[in-house]
Amino acid sequence: MKTTDLLRAVATGAASAREVCDATLARIEASNPQVNAFTEATAARARAEADAVDARRARGEALPPLAGLPYAVKNLFDIEGMTTLAGSRVNRDLPPATDDAVLVQRLQAAGAVLVGALNMDEYAYGFTTENTHYGPSRNPHDLTRIAGGSSGGSGAAVGAGQVPLALGSDTNGSIRVPASLCGTWGLKPTFGRLSRRGTYPFVHSIDHLGPLADSVEALALSYDAMQGPDALDPGCHALRVQPALPGLGQGVAGLRIGVLGGYFHHNASAPARAAVAAAARLLGASDTVTWPDAALGRTAAFIITASEGGSLHLADLRTRAEDFEPLSVDRFIAGALQPAHWSIRAQRFRRAYRDRVNALFQDWDLLLAPATPVSAPVIGSETIDINGTTHPCRPSMGLLTQPVSFAGCPVVAAPLWPDGTGGMPLGVQLIAAPWREDLCLRAAMALQEAGVAFVSTPKAL
Amino acid sequence: MNEEQVLAYVKATATLLEVPLDAARARAVAGHLGRTAALARMLDAVPLQVHDEPAEIYCPAPFPGEEAAP
Repeated sequence: MKTTDLLRAVATGAASAREVCDATLARIEASNPQVNAFTEATAARARAEADAVDARRARGEALPPLAGLPYAVKNLFDIEGMTTLAGSRVNRDLPPATDDAVLVQRLQAAGAVLVGALNMDEYAYGFTTENTHYGPSRNPHDLTRIAGGSSGGSGAAVGAGQVPLALGSDTNGSIRVPASLCGTWGLKPTFGRLSRRGTYPFVHSIDHLGPLADSVEALALSYDAMQGPDALDPGCHALRVQPALPGLGQGVAGLRIGVLGGYFHHNASAPARAAVAAAARLLGASDTVTWPDAALGRTAAFIITASEGGSLHLADLRTRAEDFEPLSVDRFIAGALQPAHWSIRAQRFRRAYRDRVNALFQDWDLLLAPATPVSAPVIGSETIDINGTTHPCRPSMGLLTQPVSFAGCPVVAAPLWPDGTGGMPLGVQLIAAPWREDLCLRAAMALQEAGVAFVSTPKAL
Repeated sequence: MNEEQVLAYVKATATLLEVPLDAARARAVAGHLGRTAALARMLDAVPLQVHDEPAEIYCPAPFPGEEAAP
């Protein structure tokens, strides 16, 4: 049962929130040994939250918009009473969180039911969730393949049908990459839209949070529920709520929609191009558009990420580097040693880059691009092939997402299933100007209603 | 910079920042840094003027709400 049916069932009393919760926990228990999406379930809390929803309904109270909807969060979100691992071994020594993250608080207020914490790349530095400490998250559509990352547990959990909604973070593509590879919907909002307070940071100047979900309605409902200013998060620039749900069904008539060429075409495999072409046909997009300085945007994001990420963990890198993820510890150290000139220059470039990108949206409302160059590689792959050129696998999964998040634009990743992938999904980015998540979601809804993009839960799980 | 020069830089800065590195790790870190150096050269080639300021997170005070007097 997908989100809208599930919410309707709870609202009408056809199912109790407790029944939904117990069925979700049972599915997680049965399937998690295969996909390894969850690092911990929060069964007692989930049942208490579900019972609270049922009690409100029994009293005749109006239910909030996500009443009874099960969800889980990447384990960099604070959950009261649990240690925030952020995919690491080092953080096991930290005390339990004393409060929930702001977004968890907001989802709880909206009636959602938290069922657990999800696997990720250590400290979010990766695109594959091949986590040595907690094991790799596995792609629900082919267990030999990666789930993507760094929010790989979030992608795998939604793709496997364990939960209809999960939260992740996205600095360089960490929501959109797992959404693409696991065949789920994902929303990376505008930089500064959603509060990041109560989450373990990776790169303060680029970190975003957002949902992955089984449907566009679930994205919009959860996104609206999580909106709100937060003066205590210095990176939260939103001053008021701008609900997306009311306009979700407006369609795309009149919108100026283009397809990104150049860098986004060259770094896309044939199936990735086919996925974009299918979305473009449905959305009526035929013009090719050039994103300004895409390769430089990625370069600057790469440098800032390494520098801020390395600096953040320098104290532990000095004393216990052996406890870090072997796949990323050397990159963390290299980042910490970067000359200041590189990152300062990258930040100065970022302002000019933002102005060029924003100017593009004077002529366009939405732009389309693949979310990943290829569909999910096999776990342990060192390289991928893009149009006959060999690329290192782990950093290259973010080739097409990094230039967009560095500009801070909102993006919905739509799950398509193009030919040439052996039945695996491959996502398409629907990109809008800053603060126009509503346009991304309207186009997503059009793709969903036409059956061009959809979530398909594997029967084997 | 050649590989040995990058390695020397890694050893020197790691000492300055008090990050212990054995020989194998120093070479691995130098490999990453060398690749990033190539990327950094791309950014260095971008013309920036002296008044091109960095992007910012810092904000001196929250933006006033609609109810606040200007």
